[in-house]
Amino acid sequence: MTPPVPSTQTRHLLNRFSYGVTPALVQESEARGGAQNWLEWQMQPQAVSDSYADGLKAWFPYLSYTPGKMWQAHLADQRSASDLMYDFARWTILRRTYSQRQLLEVMTDFWSNLLYIPAPVDRAWPHRVPYDQVIRSHALGRFSDMLVAATTHPAMGSFLDNAESTVWKLNENLGRELLELHTVGRTSGYTEEDVVNSARILTGYRVDINDSWVAFYSPDDHYTGAVKVLGYSSANTDPDGRDVAKAYLRYLARHPATARSIARRLCVRFVGDDPSLSLLQSVAKAFKSSGTDIKQTLRAMVSHPDFAQAVGAKVRTPSEDAIATYRALDVRAIRPSRTDDFANRVTAQTDFMGQRPFDWPRPDGSPDVADAWTSAGRMLNSWSIHRSMSVGATAGADYRSRASWLPALPARFDTVVDHIARQVLACPASSALCDAASVYAAIPRGQIITTADTLTNVRMAALMSTLLNSPEHMTR
Amino acid sequence: MNTSVEGTCGCDEFRTARRTFLKGTLGAAGVIATSGLIGDVFTQVAYGVETGTNVLVVLSLRGGSDGLSMVVPHGDPDYAPARPRIAVPATQLLAADPMFGLHPAFAPLLPMWDADKFAAVQAVGLPQPNRSHFAAMEAVEDADPGSAERRGWINRMVGLMAAENPAEAIQLGTPMLPTSLYGSAPTLASDRLSSLRLPGPSDPTWQGRQEEALTGIWSSVDGPLGRGALSALSTTQNLASLATSETRPQNGATYPDGTLGDTLAETATLLRADVGARVVTIDYGGWDMHTGMGTVAIGSMRNQINELARALSAFFTDLGPTGDRVTVVTLSEFGRRVEENGANGLDHGYGNCVLVLGAGVRGGQYYGTWPGLGTNLVSGDLAVTTDYRSVLAEITSSRFPEASVAQLFPSFRPQSLGFMAQA
Repeated sequence: MTPPVPSTQTRHLLNRFSYGVTPALVQESEARGGAQNWLEWQMQPQAVSDSYADGLKAWFPYLSYTPGKMWQAHLADQRSASDLMYDFARWTILRRTYSQRQLLEVMTDFWSNLLYIPAPVDRAWPHRVPYDQVIRSHALGRFSDMLVAATTHPAMGSFLDNAESTVWKLNENLGRELLELHTVGRTSGYTEEDVVNSARILTGYRVDINDSWVAFYSPDDHYTGAVKVLGYSSANTDPDGRDVAKAYLRYLARHPATARSIARRLCVRFVGDDPSLSLLQSVAKAFKSSGTDIKQTLRAMVSHPDFAQAVGAKVRTPSEDAIATYRALDVRAIRPSRTDDFANRVTAQTDFMGQRPFDWPRPDGSPDVADAWTSAGRMLNSWSIHRSMSVGATAGADYRSRASWLPALPARFDTVVDHIARQVLACPASSALCDAASVYAAIPRGQIITTADTLTNVRMAALMSTLLNSPEHMTR
Repeated sequence: MNTSVEGTCGCDEFRTARRTFLKGTLGAAGVIATSGLIGDVFTQVAYGVETGTNVLVVLSLRGGSDGLSMVVPHGDPDYAPARPRIAVPATQLLAADPMFGLHPAFAPLLPMWDADKFAAVQAVGLPQPNRSHFAAMEAVEDADPGSAERRGWINRMVGLMAAENPAEAIQLGTPMLPTSLYGSAPTLASDRLSSLRLPGPSDPTWQGRQEEALTGIWSSVDGPLGRGALSALSTTQNLASLATSETRPQNGATYPDGTLGDTLAETATLLRADVGARVVTIDYGGWDMHTGMGTVAIGSMRNQINELARALSAFFTDLGPTGDRVTVVTLSEFGRRVEENGANGLDHGYGNCVLVLGAGVRGGQYYGTWPGLGTNLVSGDLAVTTDYRSVLAEITSSRFPEASVAQLFPSFRPQSLGFMAQA
């Protein structure tokens, strides 16, 4: 039987809100009554059973350590900071690959790239895993709540130096990036004096860095006295400035300029690299009028006509490409026992492709536009990973048998290509793809394939990598 | 079976497609004979790409480097008092004149300074202060204020030189393109030269089949992804022998450990191979020193400058005679505040220094107009007296006279600085 493929619009929506459309995802969407209903279902992640992905964290036992215990493990040469953060990236890649809560994973990825903290980074790493949980817990909630939790989190304070900023030794780093990158953006017109006041408001959130790693609030270190940033002002007389900081962060979250920044970021991620003004305005309006409700904002974006017209308009970044490749080939990871097992190799593979999760070093987050990710080097690296995964020889994973991909034989070679494309790409094979697979596998399109043995390993890898090296796979 | 297969799977059709795509990628100028396209990289280069051309290496000091710790204004009475804990002592400076001196960690480059191959320009920057890393970086790399076009200055530059080959502008060290390379002229980014080959069996028959297959899929795809794919395909043809070439340093050069050294070593290999590279961009991050910069004896600033100096010194040693056509310029998004902060670090500032090394440089001197650290500060930062585009314009007109500066930096009138020999 020819594998069914979703409609163009179903494939489009599933592609944007998952890490790659698989036959199982298509079935799930049908079972929920269509892609829109699937999206609504995914918006309540607690209703989606996900026991397999929940169990992945146990594959990397050190990730469940407290920050203090992680530090001890690092000092005792049990598990270095770098290895711990590689574990974190591995766990992240596997979760993105296998979670049934695809929307939650996609949105956690999105917000993690906005309120961005690299891993490893000198002083934020012991708090990096708990920080991930904070982002995750708010990823489909309210931005204002997420902003408060993220900005005051010890991981953010350690990364952008606020953990050491005091009334005596003010450090502007977080105060500035909060305005520029996390909320209103430069076009809002804040001044250098606003940056100083932003930093002053945030003083007091300390971390016992390189020791217990305990986070604490220190009223002695908090700047008191009148502060004003854009339209926010406070007499700020209480040495416990936490209420002032939270009020300030909620003010920023609800600022119209923040709605514009977040709308742009969402639309670039989920619609296209150059979103229209009409789309941006609709999304910003939904964000603002809903009190920064993320679900409402997503609904406004998806229901705008631009969304439906943006089929295939986004280039997959290298790490999205890697994950989509694992999903397309139905590579099933096994709990790793050796360093070169698949579950451990995923970081090396994404490194090789140029985008290991959380490797981007700067607080602005990894770029999400085609211009950044379409160099010759990127293409060749992606093609190389497609090829090696197509061979299916990486240890520590189960692969589908060759025969399981094939239609009932005998069948024409181009029928075989189409049959596999429907499973790997969730769309029929174009004539160009059939031609290309025929050239690379060195089998004429019209040749009748009578046994699976005709498709030797090298020919099957040629066929599979041709599908993965195509625009159909490299865009979403 | 193979023989019969090759006769029946449309090879002629694919050859046509490939010819069309190569014409599109390599430009309409027709300087490349079709017969030279496929096969040996150097044949192709000989046909289509000028060899022995001048090369610019743009080293981006990402994070905002502190120019006042690199080219130290020891003669300015306001320098040392502003930095009680982190000022570089005047007695330890290298190549000092009455106003400036180099941080002692530049010692590996002192021979180039003494040989007049290394110069510094002080108080350089964007025309307007911009203390945001990201906005400043984009402004520097776009270098066309007011234009909505997403096109970087290096892309414009190779475009003005009739770029036909993605190898003319190359980012090494990462496969991600920097904004300076964004745009319609073909460019290339790669983490390492050994990546520049098609995957799979190296047997030429299989490589050829794969190349035909990919050409068939991608030759009609528009936009950045299609451009990237075609650039990848032509790169593997043009640079195939480079991907497997020896990258061992020559002339006894020893690079420091780390990605800067690795990337400069690969750059030297690339430039020695003479495959038509005009501009190579390299990122060297880690300059955002808000805390704990350290002293001349120990700490992150000393280490960072020393790694830079050792890597560049090794690079020119490694290049040997090829270095006679290679100019290196450093750029950073902004300098840092004059006054040290409470954490032995420096917050974001404005004016900065630019270092220029190699071919065409009239070195052993400090250039620029010093605004002073007294009353002329801009919100506590060194003022800018030289627009960074003047620096780039001077290098361009000296080394790449075929690229029109007026088109490279539209509506900008550069000032002459004198640090480059005239073309």
